[in-house]
Amino acid sequence: MTPFPTIDALTQALEAAGYFADRRLATAVFLALKLERPLLLEGEPGVGKTELAKALSLALQREMLRLQCYDGLEQREALYEWNYAAQLLHMRAAQALHEPSSTPGTGGPDHVGDVVAKMEREVYQARYLIRRPLLQALQTPAPGAVLLIDEVDRADEPFEAFLLEYLGEYQVSIPEIGTVRAGVIPVTILTSNRTRELNDAVKRRCLYHWLDYPERERELAIVRAQVPQASSALSAQVAAVVGKLRSQPFANAFQRAPGIAESVEWAKALVALDTLAIDPEVMADTAGILFKQREDVAALTRDMATELLKPEEAPA
Amino acid sequence: MLLGDSRSGKLADNITEFGRALRRAGVRVDSARIALAAEAALAVGLEAKADVSAAMEAVMVSREQDRLVFRELFDVFFRNPEVAQKLLSQLLPSAEGKAEPSKRRPRVREALSPQKAFGHQAKPKEEDQKVEFDAAMTASDLQRLKHADFNALSATEYRLVERLARDVRLPLPYVASRRMRPGPAGARLHWSGVMRHAVRTGGELMHLPRMQRREQPLPLLVLVDVSGSMERYARLLLAFLHAATRRHPRRDVFAFGTQLTDLTPAFRLADTDEMLAHASAAIEDFAGGTQLGESLATLRHHHARRLVGRRTLVLVITDGLDTGEPQALDDELTWLGRHSRRLLWLNPLLRFDGYAPVARGAAVLSRHAQGMLAVHNLSKLEDLAGSLASLMKA
Repeated sequence: MTPFPTIDALTQALEAAGYFADRRLATAVFLALKLERPLLLEGEPGVGKTELAKALSLALQREMLRLQCYDGLEQREALYEWNYAAQLLHMRAAQALHEPSSTPGTGGPDHVGDVVAKMEREVYQARYLIRRPLLQALQTPAPGAVLLIDEVDRADEPFEAFLLEYLGEYQVSIPEIGTVRAGVIPVTILTSNRTRELNDAVKRRCLYHWLDYPERERELAIVRAQVPQASSALSAQVAAVVGKLRSQPFANAFQRAPGIAESVEWAKALVALDTLAIDPEVMADTAGILFKQREDVAALTRDMATELLKPEEAPA
Repeated sequence: MLLGDSRSGKLADNITEFGRALRRAGVRVDSARIALAAEAALAVGLEAKADVSAAMEAVMVSREQDRLVFRELFDVFFRNPEVAQKLLSQLLPSAEGKAEPSKRRPRVREALSPQKAFGHQAKPKEEDQKVEFDAAMTASDLQRLKHADFNALSATEYRLVERLARDVRLPLPYVASRRMRPGPAGARLHWSGVMRHAVRTGGELMHLPRMQRREQPLPLLVLVDVSGSMERYARLLLAFLHAATRRHPRRDVFAFGTQLTDLTPAFRLADTDEMLAHASAAIEDFAGGTQLGESLATLRHHHARRLVGRRTLVLVITDGLDTGEPQALDDELTWLGRHSRRLLWLNPLLRFDGYAPVARGAAVLSRHAQGMLAVHNLSKLEDLAGSLASLMKA
C-alpha cells in the first residue's frame, strides 16, 4: 500500500508536505505503510504527532478522517449508529401500507414470525446506517483514507476494546448486517500523550514510536518552513532558546517545556512584533506564548532569560 | 554487521535469539512480534544498521521506557551476540518479568555497560554510590537510606486484612461517568433497544427502554508516609489499602519519606505478600525523615499525569511532622489542590487529646486539606480502616 519505495522517498514526500521527520520516525512510518499496521505515536504534547497524520494524508493524497477521543467516547460515536428516526419512519410507513392484509393477529404464528423477520431485514439495511470515522475509513474508496485516532489515552479503557477488531483485522462487525471489511486498508495513526498506559491488547496490534522533541537542526527547519518571514538569525535564535528550555538545567524550572507548536507560534509572534533579535525584555513580554501556565511564565526571570540568550553566542 | 543473510535463515535465527534476549531483559516480546520484526528488517533492507534498528524497535518496543534497553541491547547484540548472551545470562539470571520498569532499566544498562561487564560486583558498587549520594545529599541528619523490611503477612494478619477489606467498605466517592448503560433511571432513550422492541410489535412503540449514566469511582491517589514516625503502621496500612482498593479501576500509590517511591506497580500485583515484597524492595528511605514538600515536587515533575483531569481523590496519610521548608510545602499543596477533586488527610499518630495541627508542616497541611481526621492512639488496623472509611464519608 505504499507508493514510496524507500525510506528516503517517504522522508522527502513528508518534507514536501511540510513535515520534517527524523530517520527513525520515517522508518516507523515506512513500515506502517509497508506492513499495513497501525502506528501508535506517543510523546509529549506539541511534538507533532497529529501533524504527522495530516502530512501523511497530504503526501499519500488520501482523505484524512479524524476521531478525537475523550472520556466516555462510545461505540456509536466511533464506529456506527443506526438512524433510528428513519428506521421508525420506515416501520410506520410499512405498517400503513400493509395494514389491510397483515394486521397482526389475522395470520397464524408463523405468519407473524415472517412479518417480523421481513421487517427486521428492511429496517436494518445499510442505508439506515450512520457511518462514524472507523467505519468510514474502512469504506473510503481508493486511494483509501488516513485515519487519525487522536489522543487515545483520553478515552476510557472500555473504549479500547471497540478498537481491537479494527486495529487487528481492519474490519468492524455489525450484528444486524455482518462484518464490514476494508476495501482499501486505511493508514491508521494513533496518538497518545501517555496520561495513562494503554492496554497491551491495543499495543500488540500496532507499531510503536516514541516521538521526542526534535534536535536543533530539525526544529530550525520546521520554524523556517512554517515562518518564512522570520530572518534566519531569528529562527536560529528561537530554535536555540527553545532547545535549551527543554534541556536539563532549565527544564527543571518549568512544569511543561514548550513544544514545536510553541516555537513556531513564538517565531510568528516575534515577526509580528518586528523583532530582529531576541533580548530578555522581548522574551519576558512574549513568555505567554512559550508557556501556558502562570507559574511557568513567572519562573522565566530576567536573569534566566539573559542566561538563555547569552551562551548562545559564545559557542557559535 | 552480523545480521546474517536471509536466504540462509540466519537472519531469522538471529532475530529470534535477540527477541529472547530482549525478553530476558524484561521487554515483553511475543513470538508474533519476533516474526514481524524479521519481516520489518527485510522491508527496510539490511544495508543500514540504523534503519534495521529503527524498524525492529517500531515492532518490538511498545513502551517509552523500553526504548533505551532495546537500543543498548541491539548495539551489543549485533556487534557480538555471544558476548551479549553471556552478559545477560550472568547478570540477569532470572530477570523477573514483573519487576517494576524503573528498576529494570538501570539493571539492564548495568548488565550491558562495558566497565562492569566482567565483574560480579555490580551490586555492591551500587550500594557504595548510594552511600555517597546520601552523604552528599542534605544536612538533614534524619535521612538515612534504609530499605523497608516488610515481612509477608502471617496467617492471622492475612485473615484480618482480608476480613477488614471485605467488611470495612471504603466509601470511595462515585461520580456519574459519561458512559451510559441500559437502566430504568435514565432520561435518554435506549434507542437500539426501542428499535428491537418496535420491530417485534410491527412498529408500535409499546415499551421504551432507557439509558442511564454509569457510575464510576473517582481516580484515587494515595500518598503514604513511611518515615520513622509512621514506621509501625506502614506495613499493615499498605496491606489493607491493597486489599481494600483491589477492584478500584484507577489507583496510584506513592510512599514518601525523604523521597518519593512509586508503589503503583507493586500494587498491581494481585497477591498482597508479593506487593509487600516489591514495596520493600522499592522503598529506599524507610523510617527516615519526612520531606513532604520535596516529595510532592517530585510528584509534580514526574508524575503529574497521574492526576486524572482534576477528578482525582488524593489521600495523604502522614503525621505532618515535616522537616522541609513550609513555604515549599505550601506551594506544592496549592498545586496539588488545584489539580485534584479533593485532598484528604489522615493523621494517625496523635496520642494527645488536645491535638491541634500547630507543627509547621501540619499547619500547612490542615489549611489545604478539605478533610482531616486525626486519630488518637491508633494501634489496631481495625481503627485505621474504620478511620479511613469515615474520612472518606466526611
